[in-house]
This record gives sequence, C-alpha cells and structure tokens, in this order.
Amino acid sequence: MFHVNHIFCGYNNQDIIKDISFDLEPGCNLSIIGPNGCGKSTLLKALAHIIPYKGSIRIDNTEIKKMNRKTLARNIALMTQINSIYFPYTVYETVSLGRYCHMDSVLPRLSPLDKDIIYDSMEKVGLLSIRNAKINQLSGGQLQRVFLAKIFAQDPKVILLDEPTNHLDLRYQIELLEYINEWKKQKKRATITVLHDLNLVQEYADKVILLSNGKMHSYGSTKDILINDALEEVYRIDIKKWMTKVLIKWEA
Amino acid sequence: MLFTPIYMNKTKVLLIISATIIIMLSAVLIGTVNITAKDIIDIILHKLFDFPLKQGLKPNTVSIIWTLRLPRVFLAFLVGAALSASGTVIQSILKNPLASPYTLGVSSGASLSAGLIIVFGISIPFLGNLTLPLIGFISGLITVFTVIAFSRKVDEGLSSNTIILVGMVFSLFVNAALTILTALYRENIESIVLWQMGSFSLRGWNYVKAASIFFVIGIAGVMKYTNEMDLLSFGEDEAKSNGVETEKVKKKLLIFSSILTGSSVALSGTIGFVDLIAPHVARKFFGSKHIYVLPISAVFGGALMIFSDIIARTIVSPSELPVGAVTALIGAPFFAYIYFKKSR
Repeated sequence: MFHVNHIFCGYNNQDIIKDISFDLEPGCNLSIIGPNGCGKSTLLKALAHIIPYKGSIRIDNTEIKKMNRKTLARNIALMTQINSIYFPYTVYETVSLGRYCHMDSVLPRLSPLDKDIIYDSMEKVGLLSIRNAKINQLSGGQLQRVFLAKIFAQDPKVILLDEPTNHLDLRYQIELLEYINEWKKQKKRATITVLHDLNLVQEYADKVILLSNGKMHSYGSTKDILINDALEEVYRIDIKKWMTKVLIKWEA
Repeated sequence: MLFTPIYMNKTKVLLIISATIIIMLSAVLIGTVNITAKDIIDIILHKLFDFPLKQGLKPNTVSIIWTLRLPRVFLAFLVGAALSASGTVIQSILKNPLASPYTLGVSSGASLSAGLIIVFGISIPFLGNLTLPLIGFISGLITVFTVIAFSRKVDEGLSSNTIILVGMVFSLFVNAALTILTALYRENIESIVLWQMGSFSLRGWNYVKAASIFFVIGIAGVMKYTNEMDLLSFGEDEAKSNGVETEKVKKKLLIFSSILTGSSVALSGTIGFVDLIAPHVARKFFGSKHIYVLPISAVFGGALMIFSDIIARTIVSPSELPVGAVTALIGAPFFAYIYFKKSR
C-alpha cells in the first residue's frame, strides 16, 4: 500500500536522509529508531511531503508529490510535536479541524457525518467530557490526546507520529499507544512512529527501521532488529546489559 | 445543545451590532451644531430617496450632516474595520497574537508612497480620488513581499519570528526614508505630518466610496480562508499535513490584508492599536474560530474607531486631535490591561 523507494531529503540542499526504502502494509506498526540527530523527524516530514524529497513515495500506486494537499491529507497525516498553543481553541474546534481535508472546497462546512466522526474520535480518546475546554488549559497528556483525536478525525490511511509520547508519564505513554493500536486495528490502517523508548518499541512495533546518520542501518521485524549487536553499534551502549541491570534493581 | 459551537452566542452578536449602531448615531449627533436623531433620519431619507425635508431644517445643518459628519463616520468605521480584519489575519499567519499589519511594514510602505504623492502632487488620470488608496495598497504590498523575500533569504523555514524582525527593520528603514522626504520638502511638512497622524476630517463621500471598494474586496478575500487561518494558527507543518496549500493560501491572505491595510493607511493616515485590540477583544468573547473572530473583530474595530474619532474631535473642540493619538492613548493601556489580565 505504502512504498518508499530510494528517497533522499534534507534542508538547504543538503541531504540528511540518504537512500531509504521500505514498504508498509495496512495494519502494520512501523517504528523508526536511532540516536539523536540521525534524521528521524526529517524522514517523517518527507514521508508527509512537508519537505521536498528525491526518489519515490507512493501510496496505492500514486506518487504523493503529485497529489494536491487535500488528497494527500486524506491519505497521510503527520502528528507533529506542538510546543506552544497560540490561540485558545476548544477541544471540539481543534478536533474538527481534522475534517478540513474532507470538506467541500466551494462551501466548506461540517456535515452531520463529519460531526459524527468528530464526536466518535473524541470519544475514542476519552475527551467527550472536556470537549468545550480550551486547549491552552489542558495538561500535556490531554493535549496529546486532542491532537490524536484530530488525526483520527482526519482518518488517513497512514499516520505518522513524531515522538507522540514525549513529556508524558508512563501511564499516559501506554494509554496513547493503546489508543493508536486500537484505532489502527479497527480501521486497518498503518502507522509510522518515531520513538525514543526502546521498551515501547519492543512492545508496540511490528517492524522497525534503525537509522544511523541518515542511512538505514537495518530494517525488519521488531524481533530481528532489536538485537543487541545492532543497537550497540548504532547507539554505542550495551542496551541489554543496562536494562538487565535496572531490572535486577526492580526485582530486588 | 450538542452540536452548537458554544461561542456563537446570538445575544452577544446582537449586542455588539446594536452597540455599533448606537455609536454610529451618536457620532453623527455629537458636535457643535445640535440636532436630533429624527432630523438625521430625515436628512438621510431626503438625500437617498428624495423624501421632503421637515420645515425649519436649515440648509446649513443639512450640509453639515450630509457632507461632514456622515461620510466621516462611515470612513472611520470602514478604516477601523479594515485594519482590524487585517490584524486578525496577520496574527493567525504569524501565529502571534501581538502581531499587526504594521509589523509587516504594510503601513510604512503605504505611508512613504502617500508622502511621495503629497510632495509631488501626483495624480493618475482616470483614477482621481482612487490614486492615493491604490498606490497605498500597491506599495504596502511591495513592502510585504520584500519583507517576505528577505526573510526567506535569511531563514529558509520562514519562521514567524524572522518575519516579525525583518518587518520591523524594514518599517524603520522605510520610515527613515519618509523622514528624509519630509525634511527635504519642508513646505509640505505640515500636510505630511498631519496626514501621518491620521485623521478623518474633511474626507468626503469620495473617500467613503473608495474605502468601501477596497473594503469589500479585502473582506471577501480573507473571509474565504477562515478554515485555513484556523489551521495555520497551529503552525505551518500542521496546516500542510491537514491539507492546506500553505504557500498559496498565505500569499493570498497577505495580498488581501495588504488591500485592507494599504488602502486604509493611504486614505486616513497611520492609525495604530485598533488592529491590535479589536482581534483580541473578539477572541476573548467569541473564541478562536476565524469564521466568527474575523467579522466580529471588523465590526468592533469599526465601532472603536468611530468612538476614538468622537473623542478626537470633541475633547479640545473647536480644535481637533489626530485620531491616531487618541487610539494610542486609549489603546496602549487598554491593550496592556487585557493582555496581562489574560496571562495572570
């Protein structure tokens, strides 16, 4: 369904991402991992065509470069890291913006169906009770759920998530990934997630891309990629040894 | 109600519209010549539909109302509304509730060209009274696009902070050019300075007609993109990923808000603060959705401008203050109040 072939991209005519290729089928959770500065977020932006790329990215056999933004948005959505809220929209208003790409261009209004989808999306992440709250008064965990509901309302075939669990405590991290998992299963959609916490990758990813300096170090099923040698080579730390050490402390 | 946006409160809308009409009426009523509301309606009906005039109304009174006060009120409303609508747009594009069209240099550009027109007495044939607003709009637009092009040169990502800083630098630069022009052509110093301070006095119906043409085009243009402005206020990447052709939309919004600001500045001078306050107040009472904020902010800005103009022409009567000084005097403390009250 989603095919990425030999893509290069970056900023100011300098390629940060070099020669990445992979395929994604519906229902798959792909995680992109790698050390800081290896180009994870840049790759994600190229996959949503936020930044230009060389090579080919196709969804259902159409090159995404050739789609207009609205069509692209119905296929791929990127959940960026939003750092500050400038205007106090309500939860409902924010989530309803996800329906923009489905609205008529001549008379852009929310149809009853759109409204059903918005309410359904808010319900999925437990926001119905605070739908009229202003988003600048929410906690970090609630805010992430608002943006997730917005993506659900957008209802694309592939969701790209850039460190969605950032700044969340463990319970909210798991909760968020569970919401995504459930939605993906129910709708038969695919997700690509940049994650830092390898434990979460171990638990939620079906496939993993390990990036190193903008290049693909390895790509395959989670079981095959999260092996100690590969991780040690890229991250320069014996992750398994460290985690086992911590685990012993927990068990003591 | 489950599906009704909580902010679209009909009572609030009715309240703001009736308040605006009351302010408009009192602006026509207040002045050295005493007159009743009924007389005003009589005069308007007489002028528009040839209704017979009431006995005892002096032609002099009729002329004061029809040629002085009425066009002045309408022009103040149009300019206030145009500046406020444009302010709302710029704030959403720059994701900064403190930005204004002045931030982008629109008004400096328009000021400089208006200064040139005054000094050299330029008038383009066929355009007549439209010369000033048209040139004002064009030079405002040129300044904005220079600011954007320069910002893109120094910062490919075109971040809002870069645009704001570059806009400020350009404004100062263009203002310096205007100062030089003023210094070189001292015989015009009074008319340039007076014009710069902003005023609605002695602008006839021609100005109102010119202002309304630009106003209708500008407002219609920006109202088309209220959904896109909502999305843009969350950031460019976010808007793109939601399906907005950000480059195209931003360019159109900048053009239409330059039409609004450039023509207003060219017609009435540089009048600050209304464009900053009106969107703030509109957001405070009607939430953030631009489909409500934009028109409400325009109506409120228009009313605020009329109110400021009443003060400008009555407080030191029979002399007059520049309305720009009044908006700043009311505006600066008012703005500080609403801004800091919010953040507490």
